[in-house]
Amino acid sequence: MSHNVVDTETETNAAGPVLIEARALGKTYPGVVALENVSLTLRAGQIHALLGENGAGKSTLIGLLSGTKKPDSGELLVDGEVRQFTNPKQAQELGISTIYQEQTLAPDLTVTQNVFFGRELKKGKFLLDELAMRRRVEELSGEFGLSPSDLDRAVGTLGALKQHVVQILKALAFDARVVILDEPTSGLEDDERQMLFEHMARLRDRGVALLWVTHRLDEIFGLADVITVLRDSRWIASVDPAGHTPDSLVRLMVGRKQLATEYDQVHAHRERGQGQGSGEEHLRLESVTRYPLVRDVSLTVIKGEILGIAGIAGAGRTELARIILGADRPDSGKVFIEGRPVSLASPREAAKRGISLVPEERKTQSILGTMSIAKNISISDLSRVTRMHAVLDRRKENGIARSYINDLGIKARDAQQKIVNLSGGNQQKAIVARCLFNNPSLLIFDEPTQGVDVAAKAEIYRLIYDFVDGGGAAIVISSELPELLSLSDRIVVMREGRLVGEVAGVGRQGNERSESESAELIMSMAARNTGLLVDNTLKEGVA
Amino acid sequence: MNIREKFGRAAAVDGLPIALALIVVIAYFSIASPFFMTGENIRNLLMQSIFTILLAAGMTFVLISGGIDLSVGSATGLSAAVTLLVLMNGGTLAAGIAAGVATGAAIGAINGFFIAVLGINAFIVTLASLSIGAGALQVLTSEVQLTGVDSPGFAALTKASILGIPAGLWVTLAIVAILEWILLATPLGRGFFAMGTNRQAAFLAGTNVRRLELGVYLISGTVAGTAGVLLASHLNSVQPGLGQGYEFTAIAAAVLGGIALFGGRGSVWRSVVGALFLATLSQGLQLTGVDPLWFNIVTGTSIVAAVALDRGVQHFVIGRLTSPPKQGTRSGPPPEGPATGAESDEEASVPVSTLSAARNV
Repeated sequence: MSHNVVDTETETNAAGPVLIEARALGKTYPGVVALENVSLTLRAGQIHALLGENGAGKSTLIGLLSGTKKPDSGELLVDGEVRQFTNPKQAQELGISTIYQEQTLAPDLTVTQNVFFGRELKKGKFLLDELAMRRRVEELSGEFGLSPSDLDRAVGTLGALKQHVVQILKALAFDARVVILDEPTSGLEDDERQMLFEHMARLRDRGVALLWVTHRLDEIFGLADVITVLRDSRWIASVDPAGHTPDSLVRLMVGRKQLATEYDQVHAHRERGQGQGSGEEHLRLESVTRYPLVRDVSLTVIKGEILGIAGIAGAGRTELARIILGADRPDSGKVFIEGRPVSLASPREAAKRGISLVPEERKTQSILGTMSIAKNISISDLSRVTRMHAVLDRRKENGIARSYINDLGIKARDAQQKIVNLSGGNQQKAIVARCLFNNPSLLIFDEPTQGVDVAAKAEIYRLIYDFVDGGGAAIVISSELPELLSLSDRIVVMREGRLVGEVAGVGRQGNERSESESAELIMSMAARNTGLLVDNTLKEGVA
Repeated sequence: MNIREKFGRAAAVDGLPIALALIVVIAYFSIASPFFMTGENIRNLLMQSIFTILLAAGMTFVLISGGIDLSVGSATGLSAAVTLLVLMNGGTLAAGIAAGVATGAAIGAINGFFIAVLGINAFIVTLASLSIGAGALQVLTSEVQLTGVDSPGFAALTKASILGIPAGLWVTLAIVAILEWILLATPLGRGFFAMGTNRQAAFLAGTNVRRLELGVYLISGTVAGTAGVLLASHLNSVQPGLGQGYEFTAIAAAVLGGIALFGGRGSVWRSVVGALFLATLSQGLQLTGVDPLWFNIVTGTSIVAAVALDRGVQHFVIGRLTSPPKQGTRSGPPPEGPATGAESDEEASVPVSTLSAARNV
């Protein structure tokens, strides 16, 4: 892979002076290395694309550059001087502006008010200088497709593209020299995306340095001047797009990493246990749609099978899981359980039909933080820990909790311990216990090993295997491709709400590909072919 | 470690600080006024506090489930009026009681419908029904003079002496005991806790949060209706404005008892202690000859002080328990990782609670 790697330091194609230089930045959280030894150079008049899988370290890097996070190691140079940001304001004052994926605008304020929000121009000490602010915004806005009448409208009433433009204006109004764009095209329609690219090219012409985080590989060509790829929190390469194709970029993003040895044993166990399921269909979806995040999804899950769902963040995987759980109603489409059509109106009903979910965000969606482990487990079916269906039977409840604590290997002092005081992995096991207590026939795991340490990961895999080997069916949603590939019997890939492909799990029948080949295949399905071709006029701008 | 944690739990969670504060206040007034520790005074004090106690007990359910019910005061007043109206028009004792309780229950059901089924913010819905209830009471009292009935049976509801204790107290005690039992011993009560702790998690785990939410306002309204019946029996007349401000006293009592305004924590008896604290304070101030102009200020200040004491003790104890001193590393705030800040929700509740309480008690 090294032959086409270009060191940005030596690259000279018409770019301006270096504005930001990150040297060997590192960031560690307790138990997790978020970024390790990452270097990056941003030059005036250059669009620098930043690529990587979910969790590769892109957000952390943005956080360090924009001052919302502090590096543990390495240094950050702005205009050649070493800087240590303690808050985002310091970065802004040096002309570094960040446009986040989630909107950070005040929806009820006008465009002008938003542009100057918190940094209003004043006449004297107390009066706002409305006229000066308005004039400044007018100066900038025409070029970016905002009409004077738009400026007085509430930002919330503008479309997604114009909201992005407001963020750009916000940066320009204060002479931003570096603009960081975090997945700016998510939520935009194709023609709007096109417009945004033109705006980005315009910013480049003004001599602004852009750092552009994106998941869509096809967008990059013709617009980006340099591409930096991160993987597993590390810098992999900074390359010139000219020597690359989407395929070669996918290869850089996924890498050729081997399975972590600690999982081998667990997975080997699985291969022996494989095929014990009855092979009967358990769940079937037909053209399930919930606009805009789930579109026309049809799939089948078989008893004894683990179905993986791959896709980038925002592809609609969690939304699909919520529909199967009855938490959201589909607009159209049919759901069948064991061949019979069902209408699931709530998670309660889904639970009665044997469907349970281990949710994605442990803290906000699964744990009852201040309650005990026992209470966290029994909540999925309180009727089974009562006497005469009326009074809670604490002894029974605790007994059940203790048996799960033993069976699943939850490391806890006792069943009365508050669940927040457990480690992430043990919290997750307690949540799995909650689902198992409901006697499910289908378990959905949404990012089951997120924020879980390595040892606990293997144990959670074992729980999933035990469940399906006992005849259950499982759906696993994961952004970690190696995990998904080794865990799943089949993997379906989602992109923009649709199913776009299916791949067999590594080592499963019908899959002769190696892990890395499969991973590349999935990544290219998940991130490419968005039906968008970059406008030719922009390509000329690059050359 | 284990013993320390057990001690910590008792001190931090079980409303001990407010109970101690109550004892201190009682001790102070007993010394300051020779009339305080008399049977007559204690009986009066308790009889006057039963309405707050009942409303605070109902409010406990609402707060634990993560909601708020501002309508209980006007529900109490309206229920009292309806009870008297039925009795004055020749209704039987049972019909009068049933009508009063049903009025409260109906208000609770309407609140619950708008909040749980239509998903409208509880604060707004119950603020509106507070206003409508108070307005209805004004209309009603302008049409009819609710000056009372000559019904010994109805008066006996609160005033009859059983074992030297007024019947109203027995009734209150029974209701409080039943409510505490529902909260702590039944799946329904557990559901309220789960919903208040993490509504989304409870929902995804298969709890019927909508039905629980409906239930919580129904309970709160029914308790308010019952309090109204007792109030009518106690006063034997209803004036416009009856019950006004009771909701804030109830909230203040619950907060004093350490009920988290953001849900998930509390028990009925702790709110009852909070209500007793407020009643004792007001009675004691009167007996010690404090200028009534100062009552609100003293009450408000003591609420802030009591809550600060409660939370202060908790933070101290929990801080000691959850962060062993050996961990001396000062790295930034731990993100995404395993959660440790168990009490952060309750922290946030302090300013809100003290504000509303201080303003209105």
